[in-house]
Amino acid sequence: MEYKNKNKAGGHGSKNKHLLDICKKAALMMPKGRIDQFELFAASHTGSEIEVFNGKVDTLSSSDSAGLGVRVFKDKAMGYAYTAVLEDAVIEDTIEKSIANSSVSKRDQFNYLPEPGDFRFSLPEMGEGDLFDSRFMEYKISSKIGMALRLEELTRKMDPRIKGVRYSIYEDGISDTVILNSNGLCEGCISSVAVIYVSAISKDSKDTSTGDYFDYGRGPAGLDVETVASEAARRSVELLGGKKIKSQVLDIVLEPLIAAQLLGVLAPALCADAVIKGKSLFKDMQGQKVFPSFIDVFDHGTMPGGLYSRPFDGEGAYRGKTTVFGKGILKTFLHNTYTARRSGTSSTGNASRASYRSVPEVGPSNFYIGPGSDDMESIFKGIDKGFYVTDIIGLHSGTNPISGQMSVGARGRLIEKGSLSYPVREVTIATDILTFAASILKTGKDVKFMPGGGFFGSPALLVGGISVSGK
Amino acid sequence: MIEKRFASKVLNTLLETGASFSEIFIQKMSASSLKLEDSSIENCSSGYDLGCGLRIWNGDSTYYAYVDSIKESRILDAARVLGGAVKSTGQLKVADLIENKSAYRLSIKKYPHLISADNKKEILLSVDKTARDFSPHIVQVTASISDLEEEIFIANSLGECSGEKVVKTLLSVNVVALRKKEIRTGHKTLAETRGFEALEAGRAEKLAKEASHIAVVMLDAINAPVGLIPVVIGPAFGGVIFHEACGHGLEADSVLKDASVFKGKLGKKVASESVTAIDDSSIPHHWGSFKYDGEGFTSGSTVLIKDGILVNFINDLKSSIKMKKPRTGNGRRQSYRDSPMPRMTNTYIANGKDDPSSIIRSVNRGIYAKEFAGGQVEPATGDFVFGISEGYLIEKGEIGQPIKGATLIGNGPDILKKIEAVGNDLDFAPGFCGKGGQSVTNEVGQPTIKVSKITVGGTGKKL
Repeated sequence: MEYKNKNKAGGHGSKNKHLLDICKKAALMMPKGRIDQFELFAASHTGSEIEVFNGKVDTLSSSDSAGLGVRVFKDKAMGYAYTAVLEDAVIEDTIEKSIANSSVSKRDQFNYLPEPGDFRFSLPEMGEGDLFDSRFMEYKISSKIGMALRLEELTRKMDPRIKGVRYSIYEDGISDTVILNSNGLCEGCISSVAVIYVSAISKDSKDTSTGDYFDYGRGPAGLDVETVASEAARRSVELLGGKKIKSQVLDIVLEPLIAAQLLGVLAPALCADAVIKGKSLFKDMQGQKVFPSFIDVFDHGTMPGGLYSRPFDGEGAYRGKTTVFGKGILKTFLHNTYTARRSGTSSTGNASRASYRSVPEVGPSNFYIGPGSDDMESIFKGIDKGFYVTDIIGLHSGTNPISGQMSVGARGRLIEKGSLSYPVREVTIATDILTFAASILKTGKDVKFMPGGGFFGSPALLVGGISVSGK
Repeated sequence: MIEKRFASKVLNTLLETGASFSEIFIQKMSASSLKLEDSSIENCSSGYDLGCGLRIWNGDSTYYAYVDSIKESRILDAARVLGGAVKSTGQLKVADLIENKSAYRLSIKKYPHLISADNKKEILLSVDKTARDFSPHIVQVTASISDLEEEIFIANSLGECSGEKVVKTLLSVNVVALRKKEIRTGHKTLAETRGFEALEAGRAEKLAKEASHIAVVMLDAINAPVGLIPVVIGPAFGGVIFHEACGHGLEADSVLKDASVFKGKLGKKVASESVTAIDDSSIPHHWGSFKYDGEGFTSGSTVLIKDGILVNFINDLKSSIKMKKPRTGNGRRQSYRDSPMPRMTNTYIANGKDDPSSIIRSVNRGIYAKEFAGGQVEPATGDFVFGISEGYLIEKGEIGQPIKGATLIGNGPDILKKIEAVGNDLDFAPGFCGKGGQSVTNEVGQPTIKVSKITVGGTGKKL
């Protein structure tokens, strides 16, 4: 069989060719008679992480790794094995382990390789430039160090109350992926990313506060050090002297990045594997109204500028834009080919794969609430007493995507008569997810995104009547 | 895995251009995992990693690189590139490598690679049956077994070297209980640095029952109260609050970065007198135990807080030098791909004098927090939030109705001073702790403790 890359977002670099060669070599080692189908997933990552402290490099780590995951199907049972060592003998051993592992796994009529009829989307129009910044290589390590140092220095200078920087970090990486299977599927892509983040510690006579901020891009060019420094400093200083307020029911406003984090916790409950196994609060809710009519939620796997954009997913299915909630109604769950077959639908291109170490599961890509029509001023206007939430902690432990309960720690500012008042800390907001979703009153104009198990975005949200507990 | 002579050669190559310290870390890992869901084995996976991490210092700066190989030519190439980052005039050289000697001994009975996948499958099927038999309300069981056999070799330019073989076995059980529209979850983990004997003698089934108990009991839960009220925190996993809200602030790197509330507090009172807290990496077979830490230093016990007085921080090599304090064997790393940093191991509040039942009796109105879903902390301030996964009201000294949707929010150092009673029922719970993108094995632990007041967040009435 001849394997040739179809999409245009990769397959041209030398790393990608190397991975393809490894996959082709492994394909020849497959003992055809003892298995029905196979899939090879090879991935490599090269990158650097620079943390500075007090004007000096604290730690500079460089990474350069590659590995291979082998998935086999035999009698509709699946087996998996991976290796970080790409020598022939080890690859052969890995293949043997994957076959042995298939012998204990369940047989399931839906367990077989993706086929073109499983896909909802066709080959997306993505070019190499969409995922990879060709200027990446022009940046020397010294200029990356310089960026982290400047971020630390600028953050310190933003305000006299900034007494320290907990971390100032520059991190980047280039990832290559090749996936090849015995049905003749062959796709490869190369992507790059660069991130800066900083955490500012501020102090006054009584209180200590921290504020974090970040920026990201396909490469170091265009990372906005000034804005990251000033935002982190502002967030830190703004909450100094925060008070615990009395327990009460308030209208709350979530700033976009906080709402995006919350959406990130909800996303797993919208993945079909959780639904099929009865582990989602949204099970049996397809076709029902969850949000008010002015809210749409999308998963957009090929979104321009999206950090989680790729032409194909973790098992090679093409990606596209899926309306998860349309006018507030739950339209579809996210699927890979296995869950799609079980549910009698097609794959939304959401097979997720954290690395070559894991089998394809289901996960969100660029996942966001669409923009509304209000600017911040008109959101605040009309709130007699409310709570503007600018930081949230304990989100993952405090939110249960199965039962829908939610109780998280929050910091922010009190809203009085439509304007921002004193800072608030050490309070919790508690609700359940469905009540929360139905209680959204307004959405802001600007959608902001942040990465973390998906690339999540949201505008600011005004939510009515939430229980806030303090003292 | 490699010859000492070759290790010396690499260490010297790293030092050639003037680095002040060099280290080589070799690791081989064979992992396997088996996952059950819907009463059948959904996934069975094996993995193999072998590689070498290299570290050097140039003044205060650390430089790190790794290769997914232990071929001599590749390691030497990587050493030359990494060493090239330094252009100084130092003339250090390693002479003989002397082996560190750890007193920590373990006997492993059933190595994971000798246990068949069918045997592991039997354990998971038994867990599934036990959970479903526990109650008709249990509608889903997700259980997985993960095991790891690894071999480590470490050498550094101080002339130290060490080697260790590690075996780890983990069983985790998640259940979902459903009654009408009420849906609850229960979770328990058993994890030890031991072979498959860890799962024998009905221990796997016991874990399944414990997880099921949480989910089923919580079906009857009422909305958690709100307000600033007395809280009794149960033994074992209750120690997660100390770990998150105080332990991280005791890690010396955060102290050195002025990002810890415990900076400048050595020798001072930081907790009520009934509190003694310890980090001990040498408790046999515990999840956070080892012979040598990620820098090759011997494991041991470090008292952090003694009768309320802060006596020690948690150190790795670099922080111990900067602080001019002894090494505590807490330099840890996730794998050869990562640079070590100060980390907790098995960290716990030691036994006190109080009887747990008398602690409950001493509370007129409050809550009993038994299990937690985890939490989050702002390290620079110690502000924390923890979700309670199993909790109850305490009324007139008796444990009452279960409560749902409860969160504890407070400040770690503040809570330490508000501990009014410490029980005598110390127990531990295993888990993973993430910091700086690295995950390492940990245990938290404590006896039953009573905190005079913590803010409880819920959707119920004010208590």
